[in-house]
Amino acid sequence: MRALKFSLLLLTVVIVAAVGPFLPSKWMTTLTYAQLFAVYAMGWDILSGMTGQISFGHIFFVAVSGYTAGLLNLYLKWPIWATVPTGVIMAVVAGLLFSVPALRLRGPYFSLVTLILPLAAARLVIILADWTGGELGKFGVAPLCPDSLLTPLGEVLSRWNISLDAFRLYQSCNYYFFWVLMTLVGVGLVWLSTSRIGKILEAIRENEEAVEAAGINVAKYKIFAFAVSASVVGLGGALSVHTNEAVFFNSLLSLTSSIEMIVASVIGGMGTIVGALWGGLLVRGGEQVIREVAQWKLPFGSEGIALSFLEGWATFIFFALLLVLLFFARQGLLPLLVGMGKRRATGG
Amino acid sequence: MALLHVEKLRKAFGGLMAVKDLSFHVEAGEILGLIGPNGAGKSTVFNLIMGTLKPDRGTVLFKGRDITGWPTYKIVDAGIARVFQIARYFPRKTVYENVEISVIPNEIFARCVDPESKTIERCRRTGLCTNEHCPGGDSCRCRSELPGMLPQGGLRRLELARAIGTDPELLLLDEPFAGLSPQEVDEISHLIASLRDEGQTIVVVDHNMRGVMRLVDRIVVLSFGEKLAEGSPEEVARNPQVQEAYLAGGGL
Repeated sequence: MRALKFSLLLLTVVIVAAVGPFLPSKWMTTLTYAQLFAVYAMGWDILSGMTGQISFGHIFFVAVSGYTAGLLNLYLKWPIWATVPTGVIMAVVAGLLFSVPALRLRGPYFSLVTLILPLAAARLVIILADWTGGELGKFGVAPLCPDSLLTPLGEVLSRWNISLDAFRLYQSCNYYFFWVLMTLVGVGLVWLSTSRIGKILEAIRENEEAVEAAGINVAKYKIFAFAVSASVVGLGGALSVHTNEAVFFNSLLSLTSSIEMIVASVIGGMGTIVGALWGGLLVRGGEQVIREVAQWKLPFGSEGIALSFLEGWATFIFFALLLVLLFFARQGLLPLLVGMGKRRATGG
Repeated sequence: MALLHVEKLRKAFGGLMAVKDLSFHVEAGEILGLIGPNGAGKSTVFNLIMGTLKPDRGTVLFKGRDITGWPTYKIVDAGIARVFQIARYFPRKTVYENVEISVIPNEIFARCVDPESKTIERCRRTGLCTNEHCPGGDSCRCRSELPGMLPQGGLRRLELARAIGTDPELLLLDEPFAGLSPQEVDEISHLIASLRDEGQTIVVVDHNMRGVMRLVDRIVVLSFGEKLAEGSPEEVARNPQVQEAYLAGGGL
């Protein structure tokens, strides 16, 4: 399973890297954020997908890390190499503080707590709007790809006879930055999920008592998964603040994103990591596809029929499609493909 | 020093005294039968030893150490494993992977130990993978079979394999013959006897004395949470109090 997952991961990241230069500008932005979102989905998957402790509020860890990094940069002028690690550490601390009481809760109670957490955080951000910018957000965070990085980058590229205009260079820098992040997180989490530790996390999902009976401290492994999950999601959150050059309420505390992480992981196959990565790319990519289609005109009549009404319906249609997928392919893409491969191999 | 020492253990559920000041010990290398009619408190005693339930009073000493009230995983790591009457397994993991979890150490950052050979050994030992099915390791039946495909006897074997995967010094068997066909009873009985012959210390709980008579060295009889008698199988079978308790509870 490990070899298969690493191959699929490699294949995916190679494709994402290869299509980069050919992407229209709009799509490059979409896929930059899709890669960030894939990191969130993988982070969710290592905890909730693997151990079955379904968190509805993982955006909370994005917020803790993102606001920490963003505000430290805005007000104390900390550089990126300091804000991002601090953000991640805060997310892990939040994860640990939260995991200890959360472990006493089971099923719906656990999920409810995870749902309330980002709601409470959102209130706090709004109350402290003078500092955080509230719902409007606050601009002026140092960019992930500053001119001091872009200028030498442009020179190196021009030496290879690649000339990009300033905006394309800036976009590509962000795109490949998140590509590196997604690849590293993917490799790390696939390794972890197929290791001894991953086997135990999976076993916890299937039967906690049987894991205890095997002499394994379930609480310790859950807390470990919490810490890893919070750090991965937090890393994405802190970096996103620098990409956006702002702390945005809607990207750091969006409940929809929280739910979409679950959807992404379920589409790809819960607990498979690579599946969550695929799901993350598909969810964000899919939303963009619908937005694109909304700009088409159907060739009927003299004026054509504009599909612009779809724009408003985009999210709705998207969720409706997801529901269909959840009904008919609940196991998720990766297990579906593996199952099909097995049947073909055995000639059945 | 006995391997396990249970001292004046007491547990009440509301007004019902499930275990009342029970004391007994288990010597290293013996098989002790814990016998009693249904509702005598046998499973509660196991739950109290394993930390599933906390006793109201009394102590459990294992190798001289007080393990009363420890969490289950710690007790397992200390060297006691339990075989449940109703198998507790991971339904979506293969038989091999089910056993593997028991073999894996509890430390998150433990040095790399290869659990494979030990897992295969435990599967073979309990007959989950026989030699003919398991020549090199990779073609093992236990690597493709899911627990749901196993018959009752197979599930009991799986429970045993998971238990001995933790390298226990003391093995607690909860009604190991319940729900098995006569042939399966024979097979599991042989398996338990062979474990004993290797020096495994075992406590076996059963409500039926006949089933364990041939297997055990010593018997403790429970009735309504109290010790009614203790001794060799022959002594206990002759004990009039025991006969009465069993006649009242449905016969020996």
